[in-house]
Amino acid sequence: MSVELDLTPLSPLGQEATPAGPALGGQIAALALRAGSLIAFAVIVAVFAITAPYFLSVGNIGNVVGQSAIPGVLAVGLTIVLIAGGSNVVTGGIDLSLAANMGLSAAVYATLAQAGYGDGTAVAAALLTGGIIGAVNAFAVVVAGIVPLLATLAVMNVVAGIELVLTQNTVIPATTPLLSALSSSGPLGIPVLGLVLVVFTLIVGAIVQFTPTGLRLYAVGEFPEAGRAAGLPVRRLTAGAFVASGLCGGFAGILSVSNLSGSTTGSGEMLLPVVVTALLGAVFSRRLVPTIGGTLLSTLFVGILVNGFQLLNISSTLVNGVQGILILLVVSATTLLRKKEA
Amino acid sequence: MIDTWMAALGRRDILKFTAAAGATLTAASLLGPSIASASGALSLKGKRIGISATGTDHFFDLQAYNAQIEEVKRLGGEPIAVDAGRNDGKLVSQLQTLIAQRPDAIVQILGTLSVIDPWLKKARDAGIPVLTVDVGSTNSINNTTSDNWGIGKDLALQLVSDIGGEGNIVVFNGFYGVTPCAIRYDQLVNVVKYFPKVKILEPELRDVIPNTVQDAFTQITALLNKYPEKGSIKAIWSAWDIPQLGATQALAAAGRTEIRTYGVDGSPEVLQLVADPASPAGADVAQQPAEIGRTAIQNVARLLSGETLPRETYVPALLANKANVAEVTKKLGIG
Repeated sequence: MSVELDLTPLSPLGQEATPAGPALGGQIAALALRAGSLIAFAVIVAVFAITAPYFLSVGNIGNVVGQSAIPGVLAVGLTIVLIAGGSNVVTGGIDLSLAANMGLSAAVYATLAQAGYGDGTAVAAALLTGGIIGAVNAFAVVVAGIVPLLATLAVMNVVAGIELVLTQNTVIPATTPLLSALSSSGPLGIPVLGLVLVVFTLIVGAIVQFTPTGLRLYAVGEFPEAGRAAGLPVRRLTAGAFVASGLCGGFAGILSVSNLSGSTTGSGEMLLPVVVTALLGAVFSRRLVPTIGGTLLSTLFVGILVNGFQLLNISSTLVNGVQGILILLVVSATTLLRKKEA
Repeated sequence: MIDTWMAALGRRDILKFTAAAGATLTAASLLGPSIASASGALSLKGKRIGISATGTDHFFDLQAYNAQIEEVKRLGGEPIAVDAGRNDGKLVSQLQTLIAQRPDAIVQILGTLSVIDPWLKKARDAGIPVLTVDVGSTNSINNTTSDNWGIGKDLALQLVSDIGGEGNIVVFNGFYGVTPCAIRYDQLVNVVKYFPKVKILEPELRDVIPNTVQDAFTQITALLNKYPEKGSIKAIWSAWDIPQLGATQALAAAGRTEIRTYGVDGSPEVLQLVADPASPAGADVAQQPAEIGRTAIQNVARLLSGETLPRETYVPALLANKANVAEVTKKLGIG
């Protein structure tokens, strides 16, 4: 990459010969890069709108947004960790305990609700559960100095184990006024969960993208040494990101209890889709870095794929494969465009 | 009167009785396909039928799911089939999308009731008829399932017949809380009541999940040490066939192959043991998942043509014993 950059000044003649050419080409490439993933998104939406019956109906779009709430909240939590830890998949920020966190928080909520405690207590307990898990991650990464990938993997196993002990691997049904309100439909038949996702993303997005704290998170993630030299509290910011992620896990747990009318087993299966969603989110940002808005778009993108395939009545045995191929196409197209621009 | 009847009820009579029961069963199973062909009048032409499976990783649900898709196509309809891969979140999302697709009916295969019921209710509220396979719900118009009373009775009669109407039997009764298991156990008790020389040994054994096979093996091995004399135990009964698998292995290992084992579900590995003349596995009642799937779809067609459906439709199960196991496995398509 640097070699190409070094070569550019060596051809000033070419630039003079066609002054508008490369500039225009560069602009187009940059535009394509910025818009490429959005165009791909729009094309897929258009294809579904034309071919899949009911796709554009308000009820169906509402369903997609509502179904995106739980993976969306988890992916937003992971995005905060990705921002603060840097997006290197192996050594950078990652929180593998998120899905298990959601499972345990949901189990705590459902257990308390079944034992007759009110929504207030259950909500507090679920968020506290998530927060504690986040704090343990933060301790393991910041104080003990373990690579996030390993630290959160270990915490994931511990959390999943506690959930097994608490639930005995059974479904715990729960119905409370708050849960019923969350699983109902709001105006125009749009699920309340969908509205929750939008409001949640707006709030977190505002904090991460538009406040000094958010900017510091990016600084710490992309260049920790520079951050430290500039006097930023690197360790505190990193620890804070893990706690925030843990709280997102607890919040997703509450949403999950409302969606499934209780806590159920198998929350761990959510992990890989959430990791894919959060990593894919970078593709939907202008500078190809993790952003809250990009993660929301990526969550909706994955949700629309799943929904569109069901509407098109594609055999359930094919859906996973086709989904993977489409995601691969979007990511590689954007990566190629990025290289071209460079 | 009853006493004289009991006295007259020797081994040969029991055998005749069972033979008659077996003949009825065979007739019923032969009738299966002919009912299907007689329902040629049924049609789903132009109808879109939602099929929602909790998962397709078990023999039962895979067979039921595929048979449903085929049956909708055979009747001229369009299946919208989704498989949640045993993930409740996915199951709920798929049901939500299915409701938005406004099919002419939805058939739900299995599922945890507390998870699916709110969405089955939403489907019903949206005017979409809901039918179920092997899961009873107040929001379902009809549930197609196996007749567990029939299963329990057939298995008990086979057992009593095989041991000549007398002797001690060991039972695994760890899941009386699960309705189908309770029905099967109650039917065993009902049958044994009329054979005073048959005794259920106390204490009853408790089968467990997981490690069912290993645990049954250990429990039976210990019990055989307690009853070392041949003939002191005639048979071992369990409400499903995984404890039966462990028990059968324990009998073979201890060389006590004079004892026979009995169970329910038609797991392919147990049916293989039943087919082995040297194995102590006596009988296994197999459900007909594919037939259950087809029947559920035929019920949809009946409903959409204006017929009223019963709350539950029972599909006969097939008792596989040493004599007919080849035939049964062939019919189940696992031979």
